[in-house]
Amino acid sequence: MQQRTIITIGFVLLFYGAVPAAFGSTDYVISSIVAALTIAGIAVAWALLGNLGGMVSFGHAAFFGVGAYVSALLTMNAGWPVFAAMIAGGAGASIASVAIMPALRLRGPYFALAILAYAGIFRILATEMEGITRGAAGLLSIPRLPTILGFDLGTNIGSYYVILTIVLAAMAAYAWIRRSEIGFALLAMHETEDATRILGVPSTRLKAMMLVLSAFITGIVGAFNAHHISFLDPDYAFSGVWTVLPIVAAIFGGFRTVSGPFIGALAIYLLDQFVFKSLLPTGHQIILGAALGTMILLSPDGLVPLLGRGLGKMRHAAT
Amino acid sequence: MLRLEDITVGFGGLTALANVTLEVGARELVGLVGPNGAGKTTLFNVISGLARPKAGTASFNSVNLLRKPVQARARIGIARTFQIPQPLHELTVRQNLIVAQTFGAGRRNARRIDEILDFIGLRHKAEENAAAGLALSEHKALEVGKALATEPKLILLDEVLAGLETAGKRQFMQTLKRLHQEAGLAIIIIEHDIETILALCQRAVVLDFGKVIADQTPKEIFRNPAVMRSYTGETPGA
Amino acid sequence: MFELGLQAIYSGVLTGGYYALVALGLALVFGTMRVINLAHGELVLLAAYVAYSAEAHLAISPIAAIPLSLVVVSLVAVLVYVLLSHITRDRELNSLILTYGIGIVLTNLMLLIWSADIRSTTATWFQEGAVLGDTLYSSRSEVIFFLVSLVLVAGLWFWLTRSWHGRAVRAVSSNRDAAMLMGVNPRTTEVLSFLVAGLLATFAGIALYTGKTIDPPLGHALTIKAFIITVLAGMGSIPGVLLGAMLIGITEALTISFVSTSLQDLAGMVLFLAVLLLRPQGLFGFGARRG
Repeated sequence: MQQRTIITIGFVLLFYGAVPAAFGSTDYVISSIVAALTIAGIAVAWALLGNLGGMVSFGHAAFFGVGAYVSALLTMNAGWPVFAAMIAGGAGASIASVAIMPALRLRGPYFALAILAYAGIFRILATEMEGITRGAAGLLSIPRLPTILGFDLGTNIGSYYVILTIVLAAMAAYAWIRRSEIGFALLAMHETEDATRILGVPSTRLKAMMLVLSAFITGIVGAFNAHHISFLDPDYAFSGVWTVLPIVAAIFGGFRTVSGPFIGALAIYLLDQFVFKSLLPTGHQIILGAALGTMILLSPDGLVPLLGRGLGKMRHAAT
Repeated sequence: MLRLEDITVGFGGLTALANVTLEVGARELVGLVGPNGAGKTTLFNVISGLARPKAGTASFNSVNLLRKPVQARARIGIARTFQIPQPLHELTVRQNLIVAQTFGAGRRNARRIDEILDFIGLRHKAEENAAAGLALSEHKALEVGKALATEPKLILLDEVLAGLETAGKRQFMQTLKRLHQEAGLAIIIIEHDIETILALCQRAVVLDFGKVIADQTPKEIFRNPAVMRSYTGETPGA
Repeated sequence: MFELGLQAIYSGVLTGGYYALVALGLALVFGTMRVINLAHGELVLLAAYVAYSAEAHLAISPIAAIPLSLVVVSLVAVLVYVLLSHITRDRELNSLILTYGIGIVLTNLMLLIWSADIRSTTATWFQEGAVLGDTLYSSRSEVIFFLVSLVLVAGLWFWLTRSWHGRAVRAVSSNRDAAMLMGVNPRTTEVLSFLVAGLLATFAGIALYTGKTIDPPLGHALTIKAFIITVLAGMGSIPGVLLGAMLIGITEALTISFVSTSLQDLAGMVLFLAVLLLRPQGLFGFGARRG
């Protein structure tokens, strides 16, 4: 317990203090970290649904896009303040997830692909409902993050703090649920669903809760992104990138741990941006695919547990 | 307390239960016996919600049981153990009980969890992984523990003694006796062992081919020719 | 109006034949290994690209390129199988993610080798019109490959029901342990089903190449389509896949004719979701789909 507190404090100091201090002045680096954190946010939400909800999703881009559009449109057409709109974006994504709930009864692969179909449907709806979304032309000049207490959150460093806080809040929620009785019941449901329902666990309702939460987090992240880059169009908002990268990140880092998706996202995104893209300007995603495949074969639980085991072995060897 | 009328369960061409009528009062300890395949586990499945009857009614304390889904039955007071123990994976023994208590009883009481752990004799294994770290008798004990944690009014014990050696069996039987007397519960127990039924139950119900063929005291059951026929295929003295 | 509808149905039926070729390989592998190969669409596309290279560099017609495509696709299919067989835990989910990754690798590989440019066959004979009766139009490629698909579907059905190996495949699908007890080696049947899937994918790829245009992202879209059709049809029914494919084809064609071109995908997806949620065992299948 103590070790965990120390790690958390170190984490906070590192990311709220050291990182901005070191990289804050280099725009390119900080904006890449912001993008990596955006992926991390979705990865945490994805891992939460996958690990606790027991459902792998190939359509998280749906929630990302819905959150983005709801928030952007509320600020542009109804004059809402940005942060309130972002929360509404999350809520919008949660409401959208209700439409997918009947699919919770389906077995793993069917749910994964059902949700992919939803993502496709939302993208097409966003393109066709031109009256509201301006269709394929997209939305321009979306209001940026506001200035609070003299600190302009619309700058790269300001956005960094915002997305960092969102992601850490999501991780805190994931951690909290995991340690609660709801978390226990959800984990037990994976292998022994009848035995858990006999004990009174409302399995479908709990899974639905995880879906709503996962959608909410992803929606807020999508909303953040819309206000950060100030532009949105259906192909961007519902792009497969918002599904693929978080999955690679979560699997790579280890989606059964809380920090795994976060570390995985930073590692994968930054490697992709700074290393893979320069090696293979087109087709650099091939390395991501290979990394995903390799990780699943060698260490399905991801990198963080692998490292943990490695450290454990070292500790044993030393004694 | 529990009233089943004309329960019929069938899958495809097979009838697992036919017109089963049964009443169990609060605080009764009833044995459920019969040859293999007679429908005993199916009956438990109907009461606990894992099987739906094609026909018949069931009520529990005047509540229409058949309208309640599986997960609601623990809440109204029906608990059930599985013949092959099903510990909740990836959780410790204590966490197993916590889940049962939180969702089955609807409240959290750490002291009660400790009491149950002591009662089933698993206090020393409370932090062990439930799926991996237990012996068979301990698995059986955990099954009972989970059922108890839901604070039931009726417990269905499905061959909870099967596979235990004599000493373990005797100890378990003592535990069950205490359970019945101290906790004031109704218990229906499926058992193959005649001695267990004679020792524990004041009443036994016999199923054969999905039908109730006897419902009497254990002594009477074992002098009942229909029962003898169902077990041995012959009429005694013929 | 009536002619428009009739034409749409005709086009839809023909497209359905092609879709069936794309979907059958996926359905077969899912049947034997309970694994959804999310890289299946990439195999189809790979066959098409090999045909392109054969045509562009060796001046071989796409039909003659079939053996070449077959070899390449079979090798990749076996490779996918080998990788899949190394998964030990959480088979369903992990193989889903593994094949997802393999799909990304293949798509980007094709991007690197053949670039993002859109390609199509230079043998324009295939794309010239063919008329049925006096009123129903299609391209020659569509008609040819519809007939090819009928032949292959029938052949597949016969193989699965009459030949020893085919029946072994079905045995493993329904009960792996029982099949083993009867002397069937599951591994052999699994490899076999992958190879047959590769064969079907090859023909689908050639049909694709001669009939339409290709570019790297198409692989992913094809996998989705194949999955949609497999779900629509349901488990265990080969003719069901053909019918499901035609149903999708007709729905899309009718949407294009009477509603709007951009909504054709939407129609297919909505149909897919409706079947998934209302009749999970598929329109023609028998297996259970609920968890």
